[in-house]
Amino acid sequence: MLEMKNVRKVFRTDMVETCALDEFSLTVDQGEFVTITGPSGCGKTTFLNIAGLLETHTSGQYLLDGVDVSQLRDYARAKLRNQKIGFIFQSFNLMPDLNLFDNIDVPLRYRGMKSAERKERVDKALDSVGLFARKKHVPAQLSGGQQQRVAIARALVGEPLFLLADEPTGNLDSNTAKGVMALLEEINDSGTTIIMVTHDQSLAEQSKRNIHILDGRISNNTEQTQQKAAAAA
Amino acid sequence: MFLYYLRLSALSYRRNPILSSLMVMAVAIGVGAYMVIFTLNFVMGGDPIPQKSDQLFHVQLDSGNPNTQDDPPKQLTYLDATALIQANSAYRETATSKISGILEPEGDGIRPFSIVGRGAFADFFPMFNTPFLYGDGWDQSADRDLQQVAVLTKELNERLFGGADSTGETVRLHGNNFQIVGVLDDWAPVPKFYDINNGAFDGSEEIFIPWNLIIPLDFPRNGNTNCWKTPEAGPDGFLNSECVWIQYWVELRSGDDEAEYLQFLNNYAAQQKEFGRFPREMNNALFNVEEWLMKEEVLPNETKILSALAAMLLAVCLLNTIGLLLSKFLGKSGEIGVRQALGAHKGSLFLQHVIEAGFIGLLGGILGLAIAAAGLEGVKVLLGDNLMITDWIHLNPTVVAITLVLAVLATIFAGFYPIWRACSINPAIHLKTQ
Repeated sequence: MLEMKNVRKVFRTDMVETCALDEFSLTVDQGEFVTITGPSGCGKTTFLNIAGLLETHTSGQYLLDGVDVSQLRDYARAKLRNQKIGFIFQSFNLMPDLNLFDNIDVPLRYRGMKSAERKERVDKALDSVGLFARKKHVPAQLSGGQQQRVAIARALVGEPLFLLADEPTGNLDSNTAKGVMALLEEINDSGTTIIMVTHDQSLAEQSKRNIHILDGRISNNTEQTQQKAAAAA
Repeated sequence: MFLYYLRLSALSYRRNPILSSLMVMAVAIGVGAYMVIFTLNFVMGGDPIPQKSDQLFHVQLDSGNPNTQDDPPKQLTYLDATALIQANSAYRETATSKISGILEPEGDGIRPFSIVGRGAFADFFPMFNTPFLYGDGWDQSADRDLQQVAVLTKELNERLFGGADSTGETVRLHGNNFQIVGVLDDWAPVPKFYDINNGAFDGSEEIFIPWNLIIPLDFPRNGNTNCWKTPEAGPDGFLNSECVWIQYWVELRSGDDEAEYLQFLNNYAAQQKEFGRFPREMNNALFNVEEWLMKEEVLPNETKILSALAAMLLAVCLLNTIGLLLSKFLGKSGEIGVRQALGAHKGSLFLQHVIEAGFIGLLGGILGLAIAAAGLEGVKVLLGDNLMITDWIHLNPTVVAITLVLAVLATIFAGFYPIWRACSINPAIHLKTQ
């Protein structure tokens, strides 16, 4: 489903050349829950941006659902992002002027979906995160945990192949973080692939596979048993 | 998506009301000031008779002073005007000149008053598409037989007859009775192309009579008269002189007709040369309405300077708008990044922000209309009674539409660079830092 072969990403300025990812090879299959860990600056977010087609890689090959994305232009990349990928961010990134319904509606609008179908899907997504009753509220009227639930609903509403989550619990207190993690696990159990960047080792241990990045390379790729993951949970 | 983007534009305005309002005001001031000048130019420099301005020709015969190099006279002598009329070589034609006189209303209600009128031939009315409220113009037999007939303007008819149908009634002008055959509806071409020598922005005359009556009934001339040679004494001396005081217009239906008529004028001038007249090189001309207005530079130079200043002010306001839009759209980088992550391609983001710029432009245009309306009122106060055009200085539907379109297009144009900058930013940076 997601396959990177010898992917390299170099950031260049006039003075400095920084290699954020180097010979990075990774395959993620359908239904996996993969966590990405590593120290700050190791390349976690760069990996996530390349995986999410928000940035291009310098060399190597990246196949997304069998499609080589290296040569795709902006329009095709945007279409793939819209149809195959759901994003969850640390700071939620909800649009403050739009109410919850309209926030979740955004990706469906870019898909050109009819109004009735959009409404049905958004209502269902809101219901799935327990916020249907507050669909007319704006994000500022919600707690951090609730905002992240809305962000998750927005990521899921288009029924993507996989979710890319960048520190989804980083701005939440521990209790709320547990709730969000439980929700992500529930989503994964229903078959959606999740790739999550985190600093939190305990959260990483709850996933089925943990990939540790160091200096832009995979230093550890660990399959975790269900028992261990369950114990960590 | 258009309505969705429009809604986002309104929400964006609400999020940054001060910045957005500054942009709206900048656009409004620029567009409003520009439209004040544009309206003046529109009123003063528009085509006064668009249906047939290319078929109506001002006749210029060069009977001028051989010792000067100036342009041919703008008007004709009595000798030439009567000769051209008698030749009857055009599809329609009229000699015409301004007169004045005392009008004596019947009854005791209104005291006699002085009035400005115009002598013309029967063709004057169909040539210039004059609209009639009652009756019609006189026919050519009235010209030929010196019938004392008259056409009144709507205003004069209102004053004398309370607006009722006065055809068949008589008015007493300059001691003579005239039977009314027609009453004009509102008619005041701006500029008054058929007599720009005597005030291109003067109002229409109040009464029209057959031009052939001017001399027999001894009407005072009221208008510009130029003589390069002193006329001989007595009334006949003036009529046979080289003094020019008559405007002459012909209606021609095709380019061939135009060439043919010019040839006729040249033949006439050549004939006159044999009698010792027309001492200068042959330089006769026909100008259609637009050519004539342009040649005579009907638009004052001041309006050209004002136009340039208004365009510069608009440019400065748009430069300010570019800065403000840049600030606004770069401030939305986070949202743009999120939208890209959710599936928006750069084209759709560009379109969204073009519509947002257009929305600001539209609001600026609406406010600009108010500024333009206030500015035009100010212009009217400044002009006072110096020009008769003040009645026509207002925001007509064409000017309103142009203002709104100009405001929207100018703001969209100003928005291209800010939008391009905002949409070119790497979304990944803002998704992490938002």
